[in-house]
Amino acid sequence: MLLILLALLVGASALYVMYARGVFEDTNELFLLAEDSEGVFVGMDMTFSGFPIGRVHRVELVKGGGVRIQVDVPQKDWPLLRTSSVFTLTRGLVGGSNLRAFTGVPDDPPLPDGTEFKVLIGDATAEIPRLVADARELMKNLTALTAADSPIATSLANLQSITEQLKTRGALGVLLGDEANAKKLISALDRTNALLAKVDGMAAKADVQVFGKQGVMPEAREAMVQVNGALNEARASLKKVDAILTDAQAIANNAKVATNDLDQLRAEVDTSLRKVEGMIDQLNRRWPFSRQQEIKLP
Amino acid sequence: MASTFASPTGLLSLGRATLQWFVGWWQIAHLGAVILVLALSPSSYDRGTRFVLAREAYQATAPILPWFTVLSSLISLVIIRIVVVTALSYGLSRYALDMVVRVLVLELIPLTAALFVALRCAIPNAAEIAALRDSGAFEALRQQGVNPLQREVLPRMVAGMFSTLMLAAVSCVVALLLAYVSVHGFTGAAFVSYTRSVGHVFSPAVVVIFTLKTFFFSLAVALIPIATVVYEARSDRPRRTSTELQGLVRLFSAILLIEVASLVGNYY
Repeated sequence: MLLILLALLVGASALYVMYARGVFEDTNELFLLAEDSEGVFVGMDMTFSGFPIGRVHRVELVKGGGVRIQVDVPQKDWPLLRTSSVFTLTRGLVGGSNLRAFTGVPDDPPLPDGTEFKVLIGDATAEIPRLVADARELMKNLTALTAADSPIATSLANLQSITEQLKTRGALGVLLGDEANAKKLISALDRTNALLAKVDGMAAKADVQVFGKQGVMPEAREAMVQVNGALNEARASLKKVDAILTDAQAIANNAKVATNDLDQLRAEVDTSLRKVEGMIDQLNRRWPFSRQQEIKLP
Repeated sequence: MASTFASPTGLLSLGRATLQWFVGWWQIAHLGAVILVLALSPSSYDRGTRFVLAREAYQATAPILPWFTVLSSLISLVIIRIVVVTALSYGLSRYALDMVVRVLVLELIPLTAALFVALRCAIPNAAEIAALRDSGAFEALRQQGVNPLQREVLPRMVAGMFSTLMLAAVSCVVALLLAYVSVHGFTGAAFVSYTRSVGHVFSPAVVVIFTLKTFFFSLAVALIPIATVVYEARSDRPRRTSTELQGLVRLFSAILLIEVASLVGNYY
């Protein structure tokens, strides 16, 4: 009994481990080409949206120094990979490397078995030297900025002297450089204020003259009303003229038609006259009504 | 130590101790080879031996299996919680299951099973063999035409090996189940991802090393205490230390050596 239990346990464990290693799965092969195989090991997972869909089966060095990584992908997960899929190998600061697959367009043609792809490598640690170089440059600039003879220090010293002058000479004295100039500016300001007061009075008077009861604007408004009336009358006159012109156009049309009829009538009269003339000639020829028959010889 | 090397008597005793150490290990290897030959001989499994073998295997396994399973489950549960919570706090939860499986199933449980069987079964068996030999039972068997190694020693050794393998197998399966339940709870939804993690750990090399390690643990536990007793009883030299203690030291040395070798094989 115990022997059977042990055999069952060992057999079931062996089968489970074989199943876990993917021995019973039908897989397709995918080949990834990389420049560096650091962090890649046999048995490593390839993930798609965080789910493991493949397992690295072999890592080998190829001619030219590149690396060829064979990934076995179960057939049930194979449709996730398309011809436009992208494969990345990223190395974090903590933990191992990650092999990831991305498919941007799921409707692209499916991937044939044994396809080779170039893997994109993103290395977080590779950024460190560049980061350190940038930080060093930044520190250098900061040191230059905060040095004793730096422009910032000079500007601060100038600002301090200006502050001292502000205390004694005031802001205008600092700006104009002299107290006399400051006084001139103040007097100019006073005169400007007086001028503005005068302008204010003039503006009030102009307001009365323009907008007052006897101002320009009411008269202009009346004139506009009159002009509007005249325009209305002119519009009515123009309408009458327009009607007259319409009638004249109708008369002209009738005259044109009558002219055509006269031409036709004239033609008919001409035809009738010719016929009558012909008949008279025939009558004359058969029955000589004329008293004087003349025969002219040539 | 300086005085030991200084005097000729010290050097003589050191040489004698070294020789005794080599002779001891040689006797163990010799008995192991003899027992292996007997174990692989079909003539060893006659009716009487089969009965003794079944009785010894049952007595060596059945009484300790439930207790050991419960004990190892409790210890496993504590270790799983510690590892999972620690990994989670450092944001390394994806490595927690790998670590649990490696620490428990690959390393701790086979070692604990071997030590448990050594203390509860192998050393008492060695004492029984010594008592049988001292009581003249071996001579009586020889006079009946029965090989005492075949009738008394072989069943006990096979029982010791069987007990070690059984305890390790049951506890490993229980530890795997406990790890799953501790991390994912009572759901079957995570079975695929869990299986994948287990598959990651059990690469072909690791499986071979794990199998060999467990087999050699069971062999050492079953062989060394009994071999020490059998050959110590034959020799009529004065005993330096008690036989059981000497066997225990040799057993621990062998287990330590196997463990170190497996660690080197797994991680280097």
